[in-house]
Amino acid sequence: MSMSQTTEPSNDEPTVTEEAKMTSPEKKEKKADDVPEEEEEEEEYVVEKVLNRRVVKGKVEYLLKWKGFSNEDNTWEPEENLDCPDLIAEYLQSQKTAHEGKRKGSGDADGDESKSKKKKDDNEKLRGFARGLEPERIIGATDSTGELMFLMKWRNSDEADLVPAKEANVKCPQVVISFYEERLTWHSYPSEDEKKDDKN
Amino acid sequence: MPTKNAADERISKFKNKGKDPAKLREKRITECVELRKAQKNECFLKRRNITLSSLPDEEALSPDTDTVDFRIEDIIADVNDGSVEAQTRGCQAARKLLSKGRDPPLKEIVDAGLLSRFVSFLSMDDEPALQFEAAWAVTNIASGTSWHTQQVVEHGAVPALIKLLASPMLHISEQAVWALGNIAGDGPAYRDILIECNVIPALLAHISPDTPVGYLRNLTWTLSNLCRNKNPYPPVSAVQQLLPPLIQLFHLSDKHILCDACWAISYLTDGSNDRIDVIVKTGIVPRLVELMSHEEFCVLTPALRAIGNIVSGSDLHTQTTIDAGVLNVLPKLLRHKKATVQKEATWALSNIAAGHCKQIQQLITCGLLPPLVEVLRNGDFKTQREAVWTVTNFTSGGTAEQVVQLVQSGALEAIINLLQVKDAKVILIILEAINNMFTAAEKLGETEKLSLLIEELGGLERIEMLQNHENDVVYQATQNMIEKYFNSDVDGVQVDSTPNAFLFQTSDGQNTFKF
Repeated sequence: MSMSQTTEPSNDEPTVTEEAKMTSPEKKEKKADDVPEEEEEEEEYVVEKVLNRRVVKGKVEYLLKWKGFSNEDNTWEPEENLDCPDLIAEYLQSQKTAHEGKRKGSGDADGDESKSKKKKDDNEKLRGFARGLEPERIIGATDSTGELMFLMKWRNSDEADLVPAKEANVKCPQVVISFYEERLTWHSYPSEDEKKDDKN
Repeated sequence: MPTKNAADERISKFKNKGKDPAKLREKRITECVELRKAQKNECFLKRRNITLSSLPDEEALSPDTDTVDFRIEDIIADVNDGSVEAQTRGCQAARKLLSKGRDPPLKEIVDAGLLSRFVSFLSMDDEPALQFEAAWAVTNIASGTSWHTQQVVEHGAVPALIKLLASPMLHISEQAVWALGNIAGDGPAYRDILIECNVIPALLAHISPDTPVGYLRNLTWTLSNLCRNKNPYPPVSAVQQLLPPLIQLFHLSDKHILCDACWAISYLTDGSNDRIDVIVKTGIVPRLVELMSHEEFCVLTPALRAIGNIVSGSDLHTQTTIDAGVLNVLPKLLRHKKATVQKEATWALSNIAAGHCKQIQQLITCGLLPPLVEVLRNGDFKTQREAVWTVTNFTSGGTAEQVVQLVQSGALEAIINLLQVKDAKVILIILEAINNMFTAAEKLGETEKLSLLIEELGGLERIEMLQNHENDVVYQATQNMIEKYFNSDVDGVQVDSTPNAFLFQTSDGQNTFKF
């Protein structure tokens, strides 16, 4: 795409300092009903103002207002296609003053930030089901903590640890059932066999 | 001589003799059942204790067990042994040492030359128990200082760990995730090395609906470390890869996952507007604003930080947050019981107030002025400093009418009271705010009124005192202000009260001074 200094039919005096210059310095008359397409190499357009800036796929692009065109015709152009350093500089300067009030993060962590490194403790919270292991079988039970807990043997691990029965009942009910079934004891009710019971 | 009745009476006291057999049987049954029940209840109520050496609590009670049972020499011997059994035993012992609550012997283990053995164990796919212990040991060594992490990397752990991510054993690949998180968290150099080794796709492969929560927690944390650190920022291509899965994780409700996902976004938004733009375009802003109201402090904090970063971007970025309802959440946060939350919320507010006047109007409409004045009066100093910035930004970008509303809310009085602080920078910001207010007053032809108001609020006195301030800039600024606005002869002033002018009034509503 090429752009050069041109005199436009509608303007009497071309503005000198703020016009974009491109590689080809030739002056050409611009046709009034031209569409500002990039592909049309012969057409040359004048940048009136730089309105915005963005980065697409790592490349910087600027939003341009074209002289003699309405804002509906504004286009984004890659930085390397442009040769209007003054306009770009003016835009960047305006950005600075407009957002002077904005202040970036102070970065003072206040100790609330997430840890950058973590050590895995034996005693830490990652116990029981949180370890992400598959339950193999329950090898014991205790309520010394005040809550019924099962001692769970995990698949592919030598380390058994305690899990709350409430959690195990939901997460591995079959394993829990096996545990209870293994430990069922039957008491016969002394109806017909009272004499035998008496001798207990 | 016993009568027949007496005999009967006596016999009835005997346990079994002379009783109806049926009744006796009934009695026996009842007693038996009661005994059994009592025994059962007693059993339930009895505390059953299991003493097993692998219980973690046991170890905590006897810390000496570690040092007594596991000596480094023994570990070295085991680990260098030919048999897998000995190696596993040694590695596990090392792991337990390295997992101690206090003073784990990281350096000793490294100096003993064990790292290279551990790293070689990582690739033994046939021995998952050994791999797991080695991965855990390496994790903990990498959790130390930069020197420790460096040792881990230099012994070739990174490629081995990345390979382990593909292990069919969930607990092993999870351990690798953790270890890699520690390495990435060391700093931008190792972070970028991991990225170059293609760690990201290997990590992302584990995000699925079936992944256990614990795994996802570790994964999110590791991903956040890949987003972390500046100088340099993570490569844009890496960020592009990391964003979609991060956004997915935001839909979950686990607080640990949300916490680290928010931190990741907060790191990614802590930079130039280009970076903020990438984040805003993902559409994550509404969810972030939602999480600012989360009940868990650990989620609220990074969500607030991320939003704070976003509103330090362009007006467009700021507008996205306003459209997502941030102005409805901020008042609560300005009144939060934790000072750090108040401070960060006020900082965010100050940046919104640095936007254009339409956004300032939204600040007013959504009722942000009263809580602002509250923090100006009662906040801790760091919060008050942010509040002062808010006032100055407001007066700089706001219309004259908006500035009047600010004054009427009591903000002027509050900042005048803050002129007594020691911090010269804050004093200068306050003076700038007052200058801006005069500029607004000029537009309304009410500068004299403002001068009078400031005098009434005790401001003139304070400003005059500041002429003695040790800081040159402060002294100059106050001098200029007094010359410009406070030197006119009060008697000769023509107070020009245009009929439609907005009035600068004292906040108690007294119309003594009409501007």
